[in-house]
Amino acid sequence: MSSIPIRPISGALLAAGAALWLTPAYPHAVCGDRVFPATLAIDDPGVLDELTLPTVSWVPNNSDGAHEWDASFSWTKTITPALSVVIGSGPTWEHPGSYGWNPLDTEIQYQLLCVPDAEFMMKIGFDVTWAGTGTGMFAASGRQNTYSPLVDAGLGFGTLPSSLKYLRPFAVTAEFSTSAPGYDWVNGTPYVTTFNWGFTLQYSLPYFSSHVAEIDNDFLKHLIPVAEFAFQTPIHNGGAAGQSQTGYFQPGVVYIADKWQVALEAMIPMTGATGHGAGVIGSLDFYLDDIPNRIDEPIFPHGFGIAPGI
Amino acid sequence: MRNLSWKIAVALAFVFAAAQAFAHAQLEKATPPVGGTVASASEIRLEFSEDVEPRFTGLTLTGPGGASVPLGAAKVESGDQKVLIVPIAKALAAGDYTVRWHAVSVDTHHTQGTFEFTVKP
Repeated sequence: MSSIPIRPISGALLAAGAALWLTPAYPHAVCGDRVFPATLAIDDPGVLDELTLPTVSWVPNNSDGAHEWDASFSWTKTITPALSVVIGSGPTWEHPGSYGWNPLDTEIQYQLLCVPDAEFMMKIGFDVTWAGTGTGMFAASGRQNTYSPLVDAGLGFGTLPSSLKYLRPFAVTAEFSTSAPGYDWVNGTPYVTTFNWGFTLQYSLPYFSSHVAEIDNDFLKHLIPVAEFAFQTPIHNGGAAGQSQTGYFQPGVVYIADKWQVALEAMIPMTGATGHGAGVIGSLDFYLDDIPNRIDEPIFPHGFGIAPGI
Repeated sequence: MRNLSWKIAVALAFVFAAAQAFAHAQLEKATPPVGGTVASASEIRLEFSEDVEPRFTGLTLTGPGGASVPLGAAKVESGDQKVLIVPIAKALAAGDYTVRWHAVSVDTHHTQGTFEFTVKP
């Protein structure tokens, strides 16, 4: 989810005015020459206007031994060019088991850094999963909020020398967060704090085609093969709650167009506690900042002067 | 559930009600070609995925040894605002050249990129 040039004297005023509204945004995750696509296991390192609708996943045997279907949406809205809020939720079906709507999830994100020449960007965020907003199988489990400070970063390899030009389309992104409940114990029930970490390795054919060597095939030059790794490691009360590390390896591909992208990945469990058998996950993502509409710009496009981008 | 689906559909229709062909201007094709080798070149021609604003779109060209190559005024192709044309002021000597371009699409999104081409002896 988000990064993002006049002359004669008669144009000077135009230039000054335009500079204010041409450059401040980080419209989807663009930093310098690099476009970071939205990925499925971890978040991208940008702040942007984006709608993910839907993300759908299926795993044959989850940690409870059940088939599981999940569907979710996520809407990210920029408040200022570098500050956004995210809202998301969605239902889960388990068989055998039941159905439920996941607790509401909200997040505030800040674009901390974009170094265009280095193709490096970073954002920080704070996520809250709200107690009492789940239904069905999630109604009883969410008795308290869960708080997750997080950091996302991405680095493109475009600065490699010409002799390594075929490696320039590579990029890595990473995410680190902790998810902590408001209380460790409630009525004798332990609540687990986890350390969540993951990374992706991407090879951008759009980057290859526009920076290294032109690709004639119109389909291929929009593909980004990606490998994602995402883990949740209990760091408090894991033993008391009988939880251990879970995680997935998710190889797949992203097709990136001008205003949307579609992603499809396999979900391969990396630990016994995660489940068994490969699942699949896919998503459709709209870059709202690229689609003229009534909500495509930051609410305060020039910020407040409090901090860069805010 | 059906009611919810209708609400989502109506919301999406609202969001995309005024959708037009605007987005980031990405480089689709270049002449001389990205990474290619040519016998000579008299202009740099960049084809973008979106219409670009010529007043805010341009490029620099550096040759062997990092020397800057003088260029003419950038302009968009008549009848096709997706194509930027920049004349090269003098004949290019053999060697490797680097194009650094920046573009602003008509909806004000900024993009940039770099590529190399070779003029053969």
